[in-house]
This record gives sequence, structure tokens and C-alpha cells, in this order.
Amino acid sequence: MSIDWITVAAQIANFLVLVWLLRRFLYRPILDGIDAREAEITTRMQEAEHAKENAEGVKHEYQDQLKALNAKQSDMAEAIRQEAEKQRDALLAEAHERMAQERVTWQSHLDEEARKYTARLQRAGGGALLSLTRKALTDLADETLEGRIAQHLVKRIETMVDDLRTAAGQSTAAVVTSRDALPQSARADLSAAVQKVFPDVAIKFETNAEQPPGIIMRIGGAQLDWTVDGYVESLSDVMEEQLAGGVGLKDAAQ
Amino acid sequence: MNLSPDETIIFQAWGVPINATIFFTWIVMTLLTGASVLITRNLRPDVPPDRWRTMLEVIVQGIQSQIEEVAQGPSRYLLYYAGTLFLFVATSNLLLVVPGFEPPTASLSTTTALALSVLIAVPIFGISSRGIGGYLKTYLEPSFIMLPFNIISEFTRGISLAIRLYGNIMSGAVIAAILLSVAPFFFPVLLDVLGLLTGMIQAYIFAILATVYISSATTPPPSQQPEKETS
Repeated sequence: MSIDWITVAAQIANFLVLVWLLRRFLYRPILDGIDAREAEITTRMQEAEHAKENAEGVKHEYQDQLKALNAKQSDMAEAIRQEAEKQRDALLAEAHERMAQERVTWQSHLDEEARKYTARLQRAGGGALLSLTRKALTDLADETLEGRIAQHLVKRIETMVDDLRTAAGQSTAAVVTSRDALPQSARADLSAAVQKVFPDVAIKFETNAEQPPGIIMRIGGAQLDWTVDGYVESLSDVMEEQLAGGVGLKDAAQ
Repeated sequence: MNLSPDETIIFQAWGVPINATIFFTWIVMTLLTGASVLITRNLRPDVPPDRWRTMLEVIVQGIQSQIEEVAQGPSRYLLYYAGTLFLFVATSNLLLVVPGFEPPTASLSTTTALALSVLIAVPIFGISSRGIGGYLKTYLEPSFIMLPFNIISEFTRGISLAIRLYGNIMSGAVIAAILLSVAPFFFPVLLDVLGLLTGMIQAYIFAILATVYISSATTPPPSQQPEKETS
């Protein structure tokens, strides 16, 4: 057991060389690597923290936007609902107005139709009444209707002489109008009656298809007539009463 | 039988005899440096460490944590020095199991060289830390009467370092060799296992004692340290 001082010196040198070598190839790379990795981790953690903060901020921002959107959506839905109600009310009002107008139009149309029907009914009733009367007179009394009307007018002339003269004034013409031409006997009776009261008056017989059945005589401002209008109106009243009774019965049946 | 590998000449280079101590020291140096170069050649911070690099990191950080426990505050130069001491001694002792390998630490010349390096490193670290005046004042503490004892203790701890390491490793190697000749099959294996354990312990003790000596030279004595606030 001895110390070889040359070996000692060589080992000191070897050891110092080993210190340098390990410092160069072991400690520095490893420690620098650890430091770099720690710095990298720190940086990444800071970045992650920063990213997290940003994400939190963006999250809050989106949540606020979502709340605002929800509120806006509710407001919009409420506004749309109100607008829809307004439009529905307007459409309903318009429909009611249109229905009322149509009802008025339809009612006027119905009234017009009823009037026309009544007029047709009156004409048909008048015609039927006239033909029935004429037939009854012919069958029972062997007389014509126009002859009986003429005799009726003659009687009225005889009873209203003074009134007729006053109303006729200075007229020199008398006009007798009927819807159909009067038979000769009726014309003669009327002419005789008028000539008796107004000797200077010339009598003229005319036909007017527009006038109701009957005879109308005009002398100046005086007019004397007999038509079936009054009878037809009476017949219409009766028929209307019967119709109204039928409708009432129908209503009652319903 | 040679008790020291100094006496074994491996080869001669340019007329200079290279003994086993130096030769196997070079092998240990080559192993340590080669492994370090291979593992750390492609270090990049953005690449995850592989298992070899992790192993080196564990070793280096383990040494660093041990040094930080003894010394006050991290010092890279102390890590370079004490870490190299530990790795060199530990590797030399671990290679004891390799047949034909004679650990350089079994040579009193090697342990003396390492102890001398500690003796030299202590004042270097002390002066670099405290300045030359501050370091020399440590020999007069706690009073100038202690100057000769401090000087003697400075040398004796170096000698104790050298002898302790040498004695342990050399005895282990020698006992293994003797038992190999007496009972060649079973006991040498057991003693080699025991030698591995004591070798690692000696490496640890050597490096820790060196760190303690250096840190005691670099750290102010307790009387000069500011008292810590107690709560």
C-alpha cells in the first residue's frame, strides 16, 4: 500500500477533465433542458391560463349575447303576437263590414226580388181577378165587365155632375182610356152619359197597355175612373196576410 | 497479489507506463461521458424526454436535491464538482462486478487524488464565496487559539476521506479476490453484492462529506447569520 504521486497527479487531472466533460455533456444539457422545459411549461400554463381567461370572457360575452337574443326574441314574439292580433282584429272587422255590406246588398236584392214578385203577383192576381170577374159576369148576368164598368162610371157621372163641371172648366174634349179596346155598347153608354152632362165636349176612346185594367176618363182637370188596382191591392193584402201566416206557421213548426 | 492497481501496468504509451488505475479511470470517464453524449445529443425543449433522458434527469436532480439539503441555496459549480465525485466513485464501485475490472477507487492514489481535490476545492469555493479575507477568517473562529486545530482538521478530514474510501473499496476487492481463491462459487457473489452496496454508500458518503466541507467553507458561521424570525 503506497501512494504513487504520479498516479495521484494523473488522477487529479483525470478528475478535473471528467468534471469538465460531465459539465459539458451531462449537467448543462440536462439542467438547461429541465429549465427550458420548465420555462416551456410555465409559458404554456400562462398561455393556457390566458386562453382560459379569454375563453371565460368569450363565454360570458356569448352568454350575455344569448340572454340579449332571448330577450329580443321574446320581445319580437310579443310584438309579432300583438301585430297578429291587430291584423286578426282588422281582418275580422273587415270581414264583418263586408258581411254587413253583403247582407245589405242581399237584403236590397231580396227586397227588389220581393217587390218584383209582388208586382208579378199583383199583375197575375189582377189578371186572374179580372178574367174571373169577367167570366162570372158573363156566366151569371150575360154581361161584359167593360159594360158594367162603363155603367158604373155613368152612374158616378150622374151623381157628380156639379163637381165634374167645376173641375172640367171650359174643356171641350174628354179622353177615355182603357187597357183593351172597349166594346161598342160600353162606348155608347159612356158617350151618352158624357154628352148628357157636357153637350159640347167631344169624347175620344184610347187604349193604354200600361194602365191597369179598368176605365179612366179625363175631362180637363177632372178625372173619373174605375180600375182593379184597389181590388188587386186588397187581394195582395189578403195574400200577404196569408203568406205571413204561413211563414209564422212554418216558424212555429220549426 | 497486488493490493493496489497502481502496481499493474496495462500498457506503455510513448514510454510512459499506464497502470490499471489510470486505465480503468479512463474507461469510467469514457463510459460516463459517452453515455451522457449519447443521451443528451438531441435534447430539445419541445420534445418529450425519453426514458434515458429521464434517467439522467432523475440522477442529476437527485444529486442536486441532496446538495441543496446540505448546502444553502443551489450552486451549479458545487453540483458539477460533487456530482462528478459521486458519479465517478459510484460508477467505479459498481463496475466492481465486471470480471477483470479493477475499480480505480481501490487505489490509494485515486482516493488521495480525490481527497486532495476536495482539499483544494474547499478554499477555492470558500474564497469565491466569501473573498480571501472572509475565508481566512474562518481559521480564526471561534478564536485565534483554534487556528492550528482548524488547519489540522482541514488536513485530517482530507486524509480521512481518502483512507475511508480506499479502505472500503480496496478491502472489498481484496476480500472478494481472496474468497474467490478459497471458495470460488458462492461467497464471492455475496461479497460482490455487499461490495455494490458499500460502494454506493461510500460514493454517497464521499460526495456528501465533500459537499459538507465545501458548504461549511462557503456558508457564514451561525453566529454571523441573521436570526430567523420566529412566529
